[in-house]
Amino acid sequence: MATEQQNSESKIVGALAKSVWPVVIFVFMLIIWEVWVKAFNVPEGILPAPTRIARQICEHFPLLLSHTWPTTWECLLGFFFAVVGGMGLGILLAFFPLFHTSVYPLIVAFQVVPKVALAPLFMAWFGLGIETRVVLAFVIAFFPMVVNTYAGILSTDPLMVRMARSFNASRWTIFSKIEFPHALPYIFSGLKIGITFAVIGIIVAEFITAQRGLGYIIIFSEGNFDVPMMMAAIILLSVVGVVLYAGVVLAEKLVITWEHGQKLV
Amino acid sequence: MAIATTHVRIKDLRKTYQTRRDDIEAIREVQMEVAEGEFVSILGPSGCGKSTLLMIVGGLLPLTSGTVEVANEVVAGPRRDTGVVFQAPVLMPWRTIFKNVMFPIESLGLSPSDYKTHAEELLEMTGLSGFAENVPSELSGGMQQRVAICRALIHNPNLLLMDEPFSALDAMTRDTMNQELLRIWEEFHKTVLFVTHSIREAVFLSDRIFVMSPRPAIISEIVTIDLPRPRELSIEETPEFNEYVAHLRQSIEH
Repeated sequence: MATEQQNSESKIVGALAKSVWPVVIFVFMLIIWEVWVKAFNVPEGILPAPTRIARQICEHFPLLLSHTWPTTWECLLGFFFAVVGGMGLGILLAFFPLFHTSVYPLIVAFQVVPKVALAPLFMAWFGLGIETRVVLAFVIAFFPMVVNTYAGILSTDPLMVRMARSFNASRWTIFSKIEFPHALPYIFSGLKIGITFAVIGIIVAEFITAQRGLGYIIIFSEGNFDVPMMMAAIILLSVVGVVLYAGVVLAEKLVITWEHGQKLV
Repeated sequence: MAIATTHVRIKDLRKTYQTRRDDIEAIREVQMEVAEGEFVSILGPSGCGKSTLLMIVGGLLPLTSGTVEVANEVVAGPRRDTGVVFQAPVLMPWRTIFKNVMFPIESLGLSPSDYKTHAEELLEMTGLSGFAENVPSELSGGMQQRVAICRALIHNPNLLLMDEPFSALDAMTRDTMNQELLRIWEEFHKTVLFVTHSIREAVFLSDRIFVMSPRPAIISEIVTIDLPRPRELSIEETPEFNEYVAHLRQSIEH
């Protein structure tokens, strides 16, 4: 027990030591930025200093926050539909070879289309509301989910499936107890790409629908040449992106506990 | 010994694989009768179709013609009274050792609570009781294959099919595993069909050895191993043992 405790303590210390350097470098970059702006008198309309952006965030925090929530919420909604739909389609593709041969080429072809280019089309179809934004996030995040789910299920060891069959496993048992758990690490890679893509989808849609959200703030302050406000919105947007991504990583850590087992023997 | 009942009966078995270009004849003709409780090895060079034969007996591969009967019933698919151990442990990395051993119970639709004690006994017998709650990646290859053996025995099958189960292990671990397998077999006396390309392993373990020719395979010889049981590793030093080995080596080479 004592060694276990020491182990976990040394692990925490190790993790801290690892995260120290990125923080140090980040702070160092901020200092250079600050000094640069002050030393060369860079106009605020081009590049505001970090302290200026921090002040902007503090002064307009309630306003920024009121636009952060819709962005976050719409990201999650688009992401949710992409996860359900993408995983569903990925599973169908893996289950039905005929479905795969007939539909997969179309999916690949559609994946090549730059989805952002569809934003105006969605606006024409769904209007200026939340629908357009969620649909764009969905469409962008959907494909990595399909491809990763499908690839994950397909990469199941055939011998593992044969083993299950030797114990009279039904098709459902093979899927639920072997193929799906096996695909989970792949699915989580898809989720990590998906959540990042969903944020992109929402922001682009907020640019063009221009109703609310951090993307709207960015476009709006661009019109006013208010670069500090723009930067403040970008910072909050980054925070949203990091938090959502961290949420997926945390879920992955909780679900996939078997990948990093150490040899005991 | 009293007249033993036939457990596995293979008649006129033929197996051809269809490839894009032509048919490949894997097994030309196999006749085989295995008595209940007998330990039989199928010995042959790599790629001779011995694993194919075993998978057909397990109902995991279709045959081309002939019949395979287990317990007087024609094999039409995987049977509930058969346990298979494969070349690799194929454990589910996301399950604990205990839950891996219990997998057949779930997939056969049996009640897990009825087999919990049996799982513990099997793990105890194979020296794995301390690892029930570990995951496979934390165990060595030999231990993982022991888990696979426990898994194949959990539902009390009468027939154990083993497809080169120790071929991936180092020589010393392999010796240990062979001894352990015999110990388990002495205890349960199930019928074992054991595929191997190791002559010494086959002689050490078996009552009888079916020698398979290279593809297209036939049974070229059946050798009865008349060595006393229970067998210890020291038996490998005896002249009788080595005579069998020498004879089988010649038999395979010709």
